[in-house]
Amino acid sequence: MSAPAPGVTPDGARRTGTGFGRLLVTVYGILAFAAIGRSSYELATKFSEAPVAYSLSTLSAVVYVLATVALAKGGPRWRVVAWVTVGFEAVGVLAVGAASVASPDVFGETTVWSGFGQGYGYVPLVLPFVGLWWLWRTRPRPEHHAAAPTSTAPEPNPADPEAR
Amino acid sequence: MVLPLLIVVLLACAALAAWALWFVVQDRAVILKQLIGAAVVEALVVVQAVVAGVLMVTRDHPVDGPLFWGYVATALVVLPIAAIWAFAERTKWSSVVLAVAALTVGFLDWRLWQIWGAA
Repeated sequence: MSAPAPGVTPDGARRTGTGFGRLLVTVYGILAFAAIGRSSYELATKFSEAPVAYSLSTLSAVVYVLATVALAKGGPRWRVVAWVTVGFEAVGVLAVGAASVASPDVFGETTVWSGFGQGYGYVPLVLPFVGLWWLWRTRPRPEHHAAAPTSTAPEPNPADPEAR
Repeated sequence: MVLPLLIVVLLACAALAAWALWFVVQDRAVILKQLIGAAVVEALVVVQAVVAGVLMVTRDHPVDGPLFWGYVATALVVLPIAAIWAFAERTKWSSVVLAVAALTVGFLDWRLWQIWGAA
């Protein structure tokens, strides 16, 4: 087999931080920066007004930073971190979003995830699912570095990015 | 902040985003001229921040300082990151990133205008 296609690591995984991933990392980075700014501002000036909401803001900021770094690095371990943090965001935005709609006063103040990320153009709602799709799509697949197709090889994936 | 400068920044961001999106359509990566354009936008945002700072001091304009400068800082980091990406990613995705970055700076600048007027 010739040299691996660009963007493919030796374990058959595609890099999470190149191509479309570059856009994902950028948007995650912007959101992480916005969340850090927001939470440090809230913690510094008015934490006592709504501790639950502002703790949530801080938690989401940390998770966004971790997800950004994990997606940018994309090694085997970082990929696990990315799955966990991006999955956490998906659950978080749905749970906090639903809670904030059902009972607007529950957190005292708005958070990044309130109203399903309404205050951020619903980017916090869409982003984790795009992230999960991207992690799944770039997952390690042995056929990418197999010497030759064998009878046990899985059937070709029409969505295989290398087949285009 | 002054309105003419806001309009100039917003138009510059829109122009840069449109230029980058045109490159996306053509499946091209970011070129150096676009990065010079991004540097111009960045410089305009700096000028705007300086003008705002001077107005805060000389006219005692009331504004939520930490919030305002937080937005200024965010607006200033976005385009340099897009520029670094442009060197690292020589595909159309660098153009997508530049377009998103330009639109983000425009949006943040609009938010700055709102924060400026809110206090």
